[in-house]
Amino acid sequence: MCGIIGCVGRGDETLQTLVESLGKLEYRGYDSAGVAMAGDRIELRKRAGELDALRAAVPETLPGTVGIGHTRWSTHGPPTDENAHPHVDCTGNVAVVHNGIIENYQPLRDELEAAGHTFESETDTEVVPHLVEDGIADGLDPEAAFRSAVARLEGSYALAMVVAGSEAILAARNDSPLVLGLADDATYLASDVPAFREHTDRVVYLEDGQFARVDRDGWVVTDADGDRIDVEIRTVEWDAEDTGKSGYDHFMLKEIHEQPRALRQCLQGRVDELAGRVSLSELGELDPARVHLVAAGTSYHAAIYGAQLLQQSGIPAQAFYAHEYALSPPPIEDALVVGVSQSGETADTLGAIREASRRGAETLALTNTVGSTMARECNRALFIRSGPEIGVAATKTFAGQQTALNLLTIAASPPSDARDAIAALRDLPANVQTVLDESNAEAVAEAYGGSDAYFFIGRGLNYPVALEGALKTKEITYEHAEGFAAGELKHGPLALVTGDTPVFALVTGDGEAATKTIGSIKEVEARGAPVVAITDGQSEAGRYADHVLRVPETHPRAAAIVANVQLQLVAYHVANRLGRSIDKPRNLAKSVTVE
Amino acid sequence: MQIDTAVVLAAGEGTRLRPLTSNRPKPMLPAAGRPILEHVLDTLVDVGIERLVLVVGYSRQRVQGHFGHSYRDVPITYARQGKQLGSGHALKQAEISVDPPLLVVNGDRVLEERIVADTLEAFDGTPTLAVIEHANPSEYGAATIEGDRLVELVEKPDTDGVGLINAGVYAFDESVFDAADRTELRDGELQLPDIVATLMTERSVRAVRTDGLWVDATYPWDLLYLTRVLLSHGRVPYPEQYPGVWVADGAQIHESAALQAPAVVGPDAVVAAGAVVGSDTVVGRNTTVGANATVVSSLIDDDSRIGAGATLVDCVAGTDVSIGTGTVVSGGTADIAVDDRVFQDQRLGAAIADRASIGGGSAIAPGALVGAGATVGHGVRLEGRIPDGAEVVR
Repeated sequence: MCGIIGCVGRGDETLQTLVESLGKLEYRGYDSAGVAMAGDRIELRKRAGELDALRAAVPETLPGTVGIGHTRWSTHGPPTDENAHPHVDCTGNVAVVHNGIIENYQPLRDELEAAGHTFESETDTEVVPHLVEDGIADGLDPEAAFRSAVARLEGSYALAMVVAGSEAILAARNDSPLVLGLADDATYLASDVPAFREHTDRVVYLEDGQFARVDRDGWVVTDADGDRIDVEIRTVEWDAEDTGKSGYDHFMLKEIHEQPRALRQCLQGRVDELAGRVSLSELGELDPARVHLVAAGTSYHAAIYGAQLLQQSGIPAQAFYAHEYALSPPPIEDALVVGVSQSGETADTLGAIREASRRGAETLALTNTVGSTMARECNRALFIRSGPEIGVAATKTFAGQQTALNLLTIAASPPSDARDAIAALRDLPANVQTVLDESNAEAVAEAYGGSDAYFFIGRGLNYPVALEGALKTKEITYEHAEGFAAGELKHGPLALVTGDTPVFALVTGDGEAATKTIGSIKEVEARGAPVVAITDGQSEAGRYADHVLRVPETHPRAAAIVANVQLQLVAYHVANRLGRSIDKPRNLAKSVTVE
Repeated sequence: MQIDTAVVLAAGEGTRLRPLTSNRPKPMLPAAGRPILEHVLDTLVDVGIERLVLVVGYSRQRVQGHFGHSYRDVPITYARQGKQLGSGHALKQAEISVDPPLLVVNGDRVLEERIVADTLEAFDGTPTLAVIEHANPSEYGAATIEGDRLVELVEKPDTDGVGLINAGVYAFDESVFDAADRTELRDGELQLPDIVATLMTERSVRAVRTDGLWVDATYPWDLLYLTRVLLSHGRVPYPEQYPGVWVADGAQIHESAALQAPAVVGPDAVVAAGAVVGSDTVVGRNTTVGANATVVSSLIDDDSRIGAGATLVDCVAGTDVSIGTGTVVSGGTADIAVDDRVFQDQRLGAAIADRASIGGGSAIAPGALVGAGATVGHGVRLEGRIPDGAEVVR
């Protein structure tokens, strides 16, 4: 899902207006973004990665008073700087942004290349500026050249174009949304109203087959023959602020609720229950002697979980902080080094991966972002397919990482019947939905919001979940929270426990880990701390707890994924009660692209 | 006058479909393997609607979580109806999210594109609604028309035989919101047909006589009928493997399993060795039909697990339902009580709500309604109504 924008009439502020407007289309997702300003020549700035990467790449202003911009979220094909929009022709005088799919781009491209045009990208869009270039070379004015180019396109498009030396934007639509925004001093165009809603509420929705020209003198909508069309100007009364949040108050809550869908996408086509196998054909042969997982933040917690899964399957595996690994790597020998990063742009993780590569290691990227730097630099890539995540605090991508690490473990293990684990993975979307439907996390947040500190304990696969629960709480509530391996409590942390420090204990199954964690629960209760048990009811943990957050019974591997959802909800509701900036917590960025 | 915005009313529970609606509103109940609401949105997108406003209320997270911020690239805005105080009240909640003119449709009825397209085409600024002929007007709002003018709407009239009904598809200009403010509540609720009546006192209301597929489910057994109709019309978005058998990408079917047309197997579903699925059967997304199980004339929703050797006939099962090995839903007709009414001879093997779990070797008598999250032990003979969350042992 892409988004395009354009702006005429904001003078020196044009560039910043474009970048801000791109931010308003944030919900459409980002893996690359770009802008083009038209003055005497075209000034182009585009970057793969988050919008912040573009923000860092653009100066305060650029020459020109007319500009266009684009955001892209690709599920296929790499989001490189080259593939980011806008695209230009051979002369660099024509810049185009596009949302949609040009179905006949291959024959057009073949024809243009045969005629001597050079293409910079692999996109379908790039044929458009080159077609326009030909028209201008044949003596047409830019508008006529644009029309003749559009006439040759088959497929869906919302297109906007600027040409050097002309202070106008030309636009056309077919099967992709395009709307004009009319302010007194400026005119905008965009894929969706929120892009310019703060500047104007007067809009014109273009229809299929219509063209628009926007310049300093105003705007005009025409048909394919160039005849003027009288269009209706409408007043948008609705508030665009919440667009993209799907009716939720925050992106984080939306993304928590998207987890069943995200996990389905992660599993789709990868598990074979009949045969008891996992197939990750994109990875090729996979038979690692040992595995090093490198990551930071939430991804590091997924890495610890993944290392445990691999160890349980008999594959020596360790999780490392990427920043530590890059500085002082352990002996790597024949290890497969797996970088875990939602964005695939985390500088620390890239540093560790590069260090491992330098030492000759095989590398694998486990990421949400197709074509990210990590995905391109590693020998192999496994995508978690969670979809765009806007909230700074990772939620659905952590669940996606956990799930993908399960797949990786089964695929990398010696052939054995993995039917139980696969059945549990297939149950995950429904189990997570059960938690979302039935959770009483809001009541728990009500009971314990405002405590001195929050502690989280778990053993085995629930240990990284305890760490993640604490991190989520820190990130969005700004309150003191720590996660511990339950067995570590009495070796020090118990001194922190008081009557005003609720302890969240993860107890799933009825095995030794559960029994021992119940022992830990009793230890903290003896110090007067309230206990919230996250439990599936198989053990007696609920009997010793002040509150219970119930999760469905399932395989221990899946239980760690499902139990985490309860902690996401607790952190969210505590933060919401405190009025925190949940989607953009202070001092934090979504992906940390600096070391 | 072109309309590009549609308000879809999707806030209601559909209490007569309990216990199937314990966790989700009626529009999210399955019809031929997908939520009813998805069929409705398909129709709207296909006729060219460019902006969707969904009014959500009861279990709204399920709607929002399913559709997110767009459907087939058409942006969705959500309006929240805190309390379900009628269809007119629901429309009022969308007022700040729309710029009239607008289309209004119910999110819980499957309808063909033509009904909506005819309404859009006829709209010239005059309030307009679609009327269709129906075999059973007494269940709906009967419409009386003169030419293209609506004369009267009567809710649930006491009449027999075929008649015209309000199809629940409306096109309005901005006057609808003022009319809503002037419309009297009935039993504390504001209903859309009453707003139409208010409009009729002040100006004419146009009725568009149209026809086409229009199916509703009021009671649990209606979902089986709804599914049969949709299958017979081929309204299934998956590849047709052979005539009347649709298998979604990512579904796994063992080579020794038999699919009998019409049948649908959803994405990521598994049909194990020796199983028989069909006819008139839908197996939902990510559902497993175990080895040698038989599923006939049944609608099994997403994420469910049908144990080896189980037999399900005339069965409606929700999501995440677990049926034990060898359990039998024998199918057939029964007298079923809903609210204070008894419906005689309704064909329903069982309606098993979300997250219910039935142990192996159990036998379920026709007409059973098993509540959401109910747990039934092994070897139980079950009949009648089992409440949500109940535990039943032999």
